[in-house]
Amino acid sequence: MAGYQSVNPNHEGDQHLIAAAHHILKLLGAIRNLSDDTRKLLADLDIHLSIMTGNTINNGGEAIEVEKRLKCAERMVLRWQANQSMIWDTGPGEVSKFLGAIDEVQTLIDSFSGVSVNENGRVRELLYRANNIVQVAMLRLQEELIHILVHHKLYFEPEYVSFHSCRADVIYDESFVSLEDESVEASQRVSNTGSVSGEYIVDLIHPQVVPDLKAIANAMIAANYDQEFCAAFIGARQDALNEYFFVILELEKFSIDDVLKMKWSTLSSEIKKWNWAMKIIIRVYLASEKQLCNKILGGFDTVCSLCFVEIAKATFLCLLNFGEAVAMGSTQPEKLFCLLDMYEVLDDLLLEIDSLLFEEAGSYIRIEFHELLRKLGHSARQAFQELQKAIAADSSMKPLPRGGIHPLTRYVMNYIKTLTIYDDTLNLLFEDQNTEDTHSIVESETEQDISPITFCPLACHLRSITSALECSLVVKSRLYREDSLRHIFLMNNIHYVVQKIKGSDLRIFFGDEWIRKHIGKFQQHATSYQRATWCSVLSFLRDDGHCSNSVLKTSYKERCREFTNAFEDVYKIQTQWCITDPQLKEDLRISTSLKVIHAYRTFIGRNRISDKHIKYTVDDLEKLLLDFFEGTWRTLRNSRRR
Amino acid sequence: MPATDYQGSFLGRISIRRNQVMSMEGNHEQELEDLELFQKHVADRFAELAPPSPSQPSDDIPSDPILSIAWIRKLLDVFLCCDAEFKAILIMGRDPSQISKPPLDRLIPEMLDRDVKALDICNAITNGIEAVRHYQKLAEIAVSALEQRPFGDGQVKRARKALTSLITAMACEDKDGANYTRTWSFGRRGAAAAGNNKSTGQLRSLSWSVSKNWSAAKQIHAMSANLVAPRGTEASGLALPVYIMSTILLFVMWTMVATIPCQERSGLATHFPVPKQLVWAQSIIGLHEKIAEEWKKKEKKGSAGLLEEMQKLDKLGQSLIEFTDSFQFPAEDERAEEVSAHLAELGETCRRMEEGLVPLQVQIREVFHRIVRSRAEFLDVLDLNGKSSALAM
Repeated sequence: MAGYQSVNPNHEGDQHLIAAAHHILKLLGAIRNLSDDTRKLLADLDIHLSIMTGNTINNGGEAIEVEKRLKCAERMVLRWQANQSMIWDTGPGEVSKFLGAIDEVQTLIDSFSGVSVNENGRVRELLYRANNIVQVAMLRLQEELIHILVHHKLYFEPEYVSFHSCRADVIYDESFVSLEDESVEASQRVSNTGSVSGEYIVDLIHPQVVPDLKAIANAMIAANYDQEFCAAFIGARQDALNEYFFVILELEKFSIDDVLKMKWSTLSSEIKKWNWAMKIIIRVYLASEKQLCNKILGGFDTVCSLCFVEIAKATFLCLLNFGEAVAMGSTQPEKLFCLLDMYEVLDDLLLEIDSLLFEEAGSYIRIEFHELLRKLGHSARQAFQELQKAIAADSSMKPLPRGGIHPLTRYVMNYIKTLTIYDDTLNLLFEDQNTEDTHSIVESETEQDISPITFCPLACHLRSITSALECSLVVKSRLYREDSLRHIFLMNNIHYVVQKIKGSDLRIFFGDEWIRKHIGKFQQHATSYQRATWCSVLSFLRDDGHCSNSVLKTSYKERCREFTNAFEDVYKIQTQWCITDPQLKEDLRISTSLKVIHAYRTFIGRNRISDKHIKYTVDDLEKLLLDFFEGTWRTLRNSRRR
Repeated sequence: MPATDYQGSFLGRISIRRNQVMSMEGNHEQELEDLELFQKHVADRFAELAPPSPSQPSDDIPSDPILSIAWIRKLLDVFLCCDAEFKAILIMGRDPSQISKPPLDRLIPEMLDRDVKALDICNAITNGIEAVRHYQKLAEIAVSALEQRPFGDGQVKRARKALTSLITAMACEDKDGANYTRTWSFGRRGAAAAGNNKSTGQLRSLSWSVSKNWSAAKQIHAMSANLVAPRGTEASGLALPVYIMSTILLFVMWTMVATIPCQERSGLATHFPVPKQLVWAQSIIGLHEKIAEEWKKKEKKGSAGLLEEMQKLDKLGQSLIEFTDSFQFPAEDERAEEVSAHLAELGETCRRMEEGLVPLQVQIREVFHRIVRSRAEFLDVLDLNGKSSALAM
């Protein structure tokens, strides 16, 4: 406000003023009806003039005029004191009258600012009255504010925002099925590009009343009632957020003690909820809350950021603490996926958190979220290492019957197959680790023309996992008494590993060279099996010069019988063994068949053994060989009767 | 002597021991000496927190009053110091297998369990400080209204409303013992609006600071339940520092619960399960007795929290309300003079709160993270011994 002292006898200024005044007078003569705004402007001018001209308003007319206007405003404000209905419900006319009255009183108070109160009893008295009116009006505004905030709050239904990750359906045990990787990756790409914050803004307050709230904010802050405004605004918005958190999203608060003692199944579903809630609350709700604060308190930056941080703080801390509790807990391997999910969700939201808590007031919470990300990464790495430990530690004293696929093999392969979905994150985590720790994983493979993925940190870790698995399988295979079954077991399991890798994204991480090598490995076990089982059996049919002639003569029939006995023994045992992969089973049967049948036919043909000495014809034998590795108990009598 | 003097020699010892890592069994004497020093440091540090006795000549530097924000911050500093020394004694340069031997194999998991409970208390207190900040803001409104000149009816009414809200809020918090009840919904219309679509009880249940049914008093009770002073040969071994540190943790958490509003304080134990003859515990026991007495008074009187600044707000708030009740326009000058002293004190209290509360909150977070880290370090050591499976909850 320009005080009266500032007016200097400036001729040029006077001339301008006189010209403007003439202009105004001329215009006033021309129009009949003044708009409210114009009338108010002129009234302000009038007051200003009266204060300036009278030096102080102790002389008659102007003081009476000011008092009249004060009285008018007072009546307008006090009129509502006894009224139970809300001004903003009554209509825009009443609202603007009420706000107009406040504005009027405020203008009067401001215009007194240059007047020494102590010198002027009249002014002092008017000021007291004006302040009193402001107090009553502010109390009223606060009530109106709360009323509007409570009655016009809006919640968006979380269903409309599709954040549900397909990964939510992964079951972390050995029976889990393959995931639809494409859709996961597609959704991930979308969310990764989500720097467009405006996309997720929703209305938390009916947009119609936002200008009303802004008007109240302006009036209260102009009257230095910003503390009262903040208390009411923060309180109402905190309650709305709490209601959203607990009632709409049906989330719960947990103590750290609770989380650490939680059963795994409960914890994993709470983690999924957290992931989901983080996105909805931070990306949508709080971003919208910030926008709302900006709309209502735009121009009052300090108040605005203070309000937002106060509203959101408790919720931020609650989300943060759940994360802390999970990161503190044990790191069993099955937790890895949850930890990685949390890591990715937080990593993805970190920019948004930074921008929401950009100001000083929330900076320590912002830093804590960064710290939490680091902790989650650390826990994820630990869980990964736990997997390796768990594989090594998996020790059963009994061999797996029938030599089939060990549950550990299935578990590990399904586990690492799922890991490839998280390849970017894992590579990042392992790279961090390599720079943090001094010992990095170095591999001896030196092939040149291989895709770089094959040597990314994740690939190295994956290969070390499968080699740990191979070691464990070799240890387990030693539990078998028969050498043959040992080879069948290893052949089965390595074949399974290779198939899993060939048939999935794991292929590029392991590389063709690795696959070739391991195909060789299981084929080697197939060969070893044949040697272990059939060498001794076929030795009865072999015509080699090592035996003396007399023995040979008497024993052709005998050797045929012994061969039959040996074959029957093998049959009884090996039909119970199991090769689950049909192709592998077929291949092994064919090569076995070729070997055995050929030797048998040759032996019978060359030695002309009559049919009565032959228990099984070549065809019989061929058929019997088809029963091998079916994993079912068979007796020979049945098969012979055909 | 200031604590930092010990710090130097103490760290020196650690580095000496680092060089002796291999000869673990041989330095039993060294260990006894470390334990001796630890006890002395604990005793000294807590002695510094004790209020100066009237018989002693007062120092030049005025000490922070007990249970003030500044005092609590010192208490937390002491905690952090003791924790650092404790870990140095128990973990640094020590063969991990010693930690998994009885009785530590039982005592350490118990301690880690206490740690978890302390973390939840830290969170509840962090939330409680929000309530205290809310009180501060209400008091600030009163101060700024009453300091305004010219001073008239409007300002008095404004101040009165803020003060009434303040006193009600502090009393409500005390009665509910739960999270602070908000007092933003002033006035009849506002209250009606807030209660419109849900009962206030439901609203309150929405603002649990920790979790439903969580009780600070119960957590404190659980923390002290299995805290037993080591006896016989254990009393001179590593069981002692574990006991000392657990006692400190319990005392610090108990003090914060008694001082700062937090969820469910009713039934907070005033018994401190520490034998009176322990030399290192003398100052802690003294402080505990003093605070427990205050707490009992508080329970009887139903006054606000024990935090010194809150008690000030309560006292000054009440007296200023009396003033505003009897206020007549125009103000009698002498009455206004009388009030200005109270007002200045309230203003000073608000200033101290403004300066101290947020740093206190940050410091509690620091304590939180320290406890998390210590717990993780112990779990790592135990993991090395292959005992993690029993512990990892």
